[in-house]
Amino acid sequence: MTAGPPQENPKTEHLSDHGLLALVARGDTEAFARLYDQYSEAAYSLALRVVRDRELAADVVQEAFLAVWNQARTFDVRRGQPSTWILTVTHNKAVDTVRREQRRRTEPIVEGQEGADPGPPADERAWLGMTRQRVRQALRQLPDPHREVLELAYFAGFSQSELAERLALPLGTVKSRTFAAMSALRAELGKAGVTLEDEWNTSTS
Amino acid sequence: MEHVDELIPAHALRSLDLPDEQAVEAHLAVCERCRRQLAEFEAVAATLAYAAPPAAPPPALRDSLLSAIQPVIEAPAVAARPERGPFWSRVALVSAPALAALALALGIWNLSLRSDLDSTRQQLAAGSAVHLSGVGNVVWKDGQATLYADIGPAPAGKVYEAWVIRDGTPIAAGTFDGGGTTELRLDRSVEDGDTVAVTVEPAPGREQPSGKPIAAGRL
Repeated sequence: MTAGPPQENPKTEHLSDHGLLALVARGDTEAFARLYDQYSEAAYSLALRVVRDRELAADVVQEAFLAVWNQARTFDVRRGQPSTWILTVTHNKAVDTVRREQRRRTEPIVEGQEGADPGPPADERAWLGMTRQRVRQALRQLPDPHREVLELAYFAGFSQSELAERLALPLGTVKSRTFAAMSALRAELGKAGVTLEDEWNTSTS
Repeated sequence: MEHVDELIPAHALRSLDLPDEQAVEAHLAVCERCRRQLAEFEAVAATLAYAAPPAAPPPALRDSLLSAIQPVIEAPAVAARPERGPFWSRVALVSAPALAALALALGIWNLSLRSDLDSTRQQLAAGSAVHLSGVGNVVWKDGQATLYADIGPAPAGKVYEAWVIRDGTPIAAGTFDGGGTTELRLDRSVEDGDTVAVTVEPAPGREQPSGKPIAAGRL
């Protein structure tokens, strides 16, 4: 699944994600392939966790990356990192899918639909393993009610009112708990060494 | 009453109910401070993706995606031609690999390997096309059809015959001997929905095919 050894694409290997995306905006398919190789595993893992079906997950990832290809020209750098954008688009499409298809959202994944284990990430994606570790670490620090609300909202795609019903809580409580959970997560991510502003997927950070 | 900025983290999670989502979107359009807030919380939300169990995307997904984004540059038969039937106008909007797959399905590339590429282009430029597997292509336009056949010689004492079948009734449309490339203008007019079939006949001039066709294609 990787693009091969890092030396294989001398044109793109030293570019930041913003640089790659700028090339994508000009129709550069090599730059696009490189972004795909960097983030497709994260996107697919996310999509599969949300939609719980391998074919639907593949559709979601395909649509998300096509949207990146088509909209790269209008990407505003003030929105943040391209990786955030890619994963946000993926998440949006995954949640839309799970809501549209009325899929059950909280039982364990159907047998046979678990993802293929990718094994440890290749060298050029060493950041992926480290990031996973740090994010899980940050989540572990959150109080249970906070973590629960984040997981149900993000991975099961429940709206605030659906959460209120499910957790038997007033809507106002759900809203303030969601706000608190996200603020707490932001703080814990910082403590765990996950930087959100800078290039945190290269070996220099 | 809550302020919109209290809803921004939930918006980043895509967890707002529709009325709240619309209110936030409307506000974001006019408030840069809140847009910056959203960018920050989207980055926070995106990290949750990394908490999902790792799963490898299918390799075919990469190929499919890279094919889908290729621009249309390599399909030779779709170069600017003054005359193009409805079939090719539609196909011109299709990406190159899909076009190649389509051409393969029609057997046109197969034909062009054995015959002159220019003649293939002429065939394709002349109108709509349907492939008769094992025989060749029928290209038709404005009711006039031509069979471009590339087939071995008919068995001794026999001849190939083309038929136009409309509403189940076959009408004889011309004969040929085969053995190399043949261009046969069908002497029956054709229309959408007709089937062109080729049979092996002991002699021309029969009113009905003597057996099952060796190939047929629907216009």
